[in-house]
Amino acid sequence: MELKLYDYIGNSYKRKNQYLHELATIEDEIAHTKGAEKSSLKKRLKELQANKANHPYIQKLQKYEEAEKQFLEKLKQEEASFEQTLKTNNARDKKLHIQYFKAAKEVDFYQPFVDLCYDAELKYRKAVVIDEQMKEVIDHLERNLKELSDAKEALEKLDSTKESEGKKAFSEKKKDIEIEYTKNLNSLKKKKEDGVISAKALENEKIQLVSKKKKDIDLLESTLIPSKYYKELIESKTYETTKAIKHKLAVIDDNESNVLRTTPIEIDKNIKWYPVASCLIPGFGQYLNGQTTKMILFLIGTFFIYFMALPYTLGFGNYQADGLMSIFTLADGAPKIHKSIIYMIEGIISLFLILISFAILLVNYKDVKTVSRNTIKGIRPRNWFETKRNIFEDGFPYLVSLPAFLVLLFIVIVPITTTILLSFTNMDPKHQSKFQWAGFVNYLGLTESDGMIGRAFWAILGWTLIWTLVATSLAILIGFGLALITNNERIVGKGFFRGVFILPWAIPAFITIMFFSIMFARQGILTQILNNITGLSLDIKNNSFQTRLTLIGLQGWLGSAYVFLLSTGVLQAISADLYEAAQIDGATAWQRLTKITLPIVLFQTAPLLIGQYTFNFNNFSIIYLFNSGGPFNPSVYGNLAGSTDILISYVYKLTMDNQQQAVGAAVTVLISLALMVFTFIGFKNSKAFKEDK
Amino acid sequence: MKKKSNNLYLGDRQPLNTMGKIGLGLSYMVLILWTIAILWPIYQMVMSAFNGMQQEYIIMNKGFEFSFDHFTFLFEETLYPKWMLNTIFISISTAIITLLFVSFTGFAYSRYRFKGRKASLMAIMIIQTIPSFAGLTAYFTMYSIISDVLPFFNRQMMLILIYSAGGIAGNTFILKGYLDSISMELDDAAKIDGCSNLKVYKLIILPIARPMLAIIALWSFLGPFMDYLLPKVILTNPEAYTLAAGLFTLIADKENMNQPAFAAGGLLIAIPTVILFTVLQKQLISGLSSGAVK
Repeated sequence: MELKLYDYIGNSYKRKNQYLHELATIEDEIAHTKGAEKSSLKKRLKELQANKANHPYIQKLQKYEEAEKQFLEKLKQEEASFEQTLKTNNARDKKLHIQYFKAAKEVDFYQPFVDLCYDAELKYRKAVVIDEQMKEVIDHLERNLKELSDAKEALEKLDSTKESEGKKAFSEKKKDIEIEYTKNLNSLKKKKEDGVISAKALENEKIQLVSKKKKDIDLLESTLIPSKYYKELIESKTYETTKAIKHKLAVIDDNESNVLRTTPIEIDKNIKWYPVASCLIPGFGQYLNGQTTKMILFLIGTFFIYFMALPYTLGFGNYQADGLMSIFTLADGAPKIHKSIIYMIEGIISLFLILISFAILLVNYKDVKTVSRNTIKGIRPRNWFETKRNIFEDGFPYLVSLPAFLVLLFIVIVPITTTILLSFTNMDPKHQSKFQWAGFVNYLGLTESDGMIGRAFWAILGWTLIWTLVATSLAILIGFGLALITNNERIVGKGFFRGVFILPWAIPAFITIMFFSIMFARQGILTQILNNITGLSLDIKNNSFQTRLTLIGLQGWLGSAYVFLLSTGVLQAISADLYEAAQIDGATAWQRLTKITLPIVLFQTAPLLIGQYTFNFNNFSIIYLFNSGGPFNPSVYGNLAGSTDILISYVYKLTMDNQQQAVGAAVTVLISLALMVFTFIGFKNSKAFKEDK
Repeated sequence: MKKKSNNLYLGDRQPLNTMGKIGLGLSYMVLILWTIAILWPIYQMVMSAFNGMQQEYIIMNKGFEFSFDHFTFLFEETLYPKWMLNTIFISISTAIITLLFVSFTGFAYSRYRFKGRKASLMAIMIIQTIPSFAGLTAYFTMYSIISDVLPFFNRQMMLILIYSAGGIAGNTFILKGYLDSISMELDDAAKIDGCSNLKVYKLIILPIARPMLAIIALWSFLGPFMDYLLPKVILTNPEAYTLAAGLFTLIADKENMNQPAFAAGGLLIAIPTVILFTVLQKQLISGLSSGAVK
């Protein structure tokens, strides 16, 4: 126990509880002495504790507590009779009156006890705040309530002759305003014609005139027409009696919380066990600490854990499975219609529910621990007004991102986890409904280059890498080269060329790919033309090499537009001074290209170009839409894939066409890992991440 | 006199020597060849769409007769109008949902320093590298569970959910990057004047971020529009197809085969997108290059 008490900014206060003060003093002395004296001090301490009930301070305190009890009972009765005398029928008005009434009594009662204990001081100071400030709020409220009811009455008893007179007067005066507006407008136009002001200035002045006119008319309307006047009055008074009062009460709340922060708490009992005792029941600790509204918030957490997460994990309320255990059993021994995949997914959901539950328990434990520790030090627990503010300030980022994270968890992370787990099972055509854990079998199968699956995998991986590198590089080369040529200052018709060159980017790729697929068919137009030129009879879609070549060319055609657009933007932004200076120094055209243009363009577009490589690595559309991954080549690929299939279309065929979900999942995991590593290297140096220190 | 003026060189560029002239000629040749390479296929597509003499297959040398037959066929004999409506529904829903989530997460990550921020940012970054097809098998099962519990939940909604959830990670990064480049003084000023966090979001962040939000919305709209894989996998009924999946049936299925109708349908989609991309090219590119990259 410490000799002094502290508040949240570290101000120290002396103890008012003399008994605790003595206790702390002795404990302090024990800590600083050695040997024989220590035992005598300890004896004194024990005596003091044994005679606690007879301690003069404790007796005083008991008297105070008794007096307070009586006072409160009396206050309750007085409150009830005071309520009878109140004439208002506005609920809030009533409530505020009662608060004000009570505060005045409390000030009188608690004042003599201020020096006795901090609890009394707190109650006294709080009552003072209300006593001093509530009167003004009540007056404001009542004045406005009266004006509001007056206005409502006046609106009902509206004199129709006055109303029509007002309308007449309004329409007359309105004309004056309009005449003045036209006059001003004309003089402005005149000024413009004379060249005194610019067209832009005329526009701005006009906007101002229009808004002035509107304001004047509104003002006129509400002063001349009684019904309009009263309606506006009612609107403003309604605001005053609701929102304005709320703001005023918030100020009082704020002052109260200030009292709370600067009046320490002094407790006699041991509360160190609160966090541990309440760690399994969120809300209990908050109750012990006296934060009842916060308790309700945490009880929602308790409800979630014990009535949703835990039962689900144990198998209650599941769609088919048995909660967390189903990850291990995978529907083994379950009824025939039950599917292993559903068991797996429900098991994963259980796992995440458990993780969320642990997070809630952790937050709860930390909250109770902080509050209890602070209470021991002398800092009072926050009241609801402060907690609410704290949630909306510090908790704001969590609150607003929570929906996004939940969606991310269930729609992205759960499926990905399923895929990862699936890659360790034997889900294949023979094990569709029920499958078992199979360890690393799928991964081993992929690495063995003599098995059917492994052989296809390595062949596809090889082509995927070639495809990614060659097709992307070709697109970059074409795009950059074209940008460079078009940017030459001597070229005429830049706009036209630029407009044409971005077309492949602007037309949806799936349309172009499908159309090229038609044109490269055996009877297609392009095949016919190629046949006529070369004299061969080509059958592009049935020849592995030719299809691959065509695909690379097609991606060059498609991808170059994007690179062209990017590099043109950068090229246009390079200052001409750089080139002039280089020319004066005697640099050749080649040197200017390699020492100025290339570094600048590459530096600025590099991340996007890297993105192009990952894009093509996963470019399912072009492979599948052009020739469905074909032509087939059973001697290398079996019947699982074709010779232009890349990894992603291979996964598609494994999963969708051949029911080889487990192998497909293994390949997916490998692809994702490769992409992650690749992107991470690119991201590590990115601006968005670096600036974030 | 006349001869002399021919030799007079006027201009602020250096006169070209022979090599330069040849180079310029070559440049023009490259540009013109590439222009042909781009325009010729497009020209072919336009021609086949309007050529009444083409039948189910697009073949060369059949003569040309202008007609709207293929468009009529497209709207009357195929589900094209339905596909278009589906696509618009899916794309717009995806854009709206993505925007709702991302405008908040981008704001939170850009403006607040909270516990777990760095770790979750890292997690988001890793998640966004995983392609959305990774959860393919699970999507089916999840769909069958959800639709069993909630009968109104259809496959298109599943698709919308997948697209929007998949968009959260990447777009949060883009928006965060954009907001990071805007000074926080505005927020601070608003807070000193008594704005709550939500008010700062509504009155300061939303108006400032509007250009980037528009771009995010546009890309979220275009994503489902251009995608073939997921609609093909998730949607099983041709009635529910999107344009990409639907049009492919016109050139891949033996019984639905009608290549000129495909050309006509493709043309109808290409025209608005080309206009859109040409007008907004700068903004579309800026959306990609800010934030996540650079």
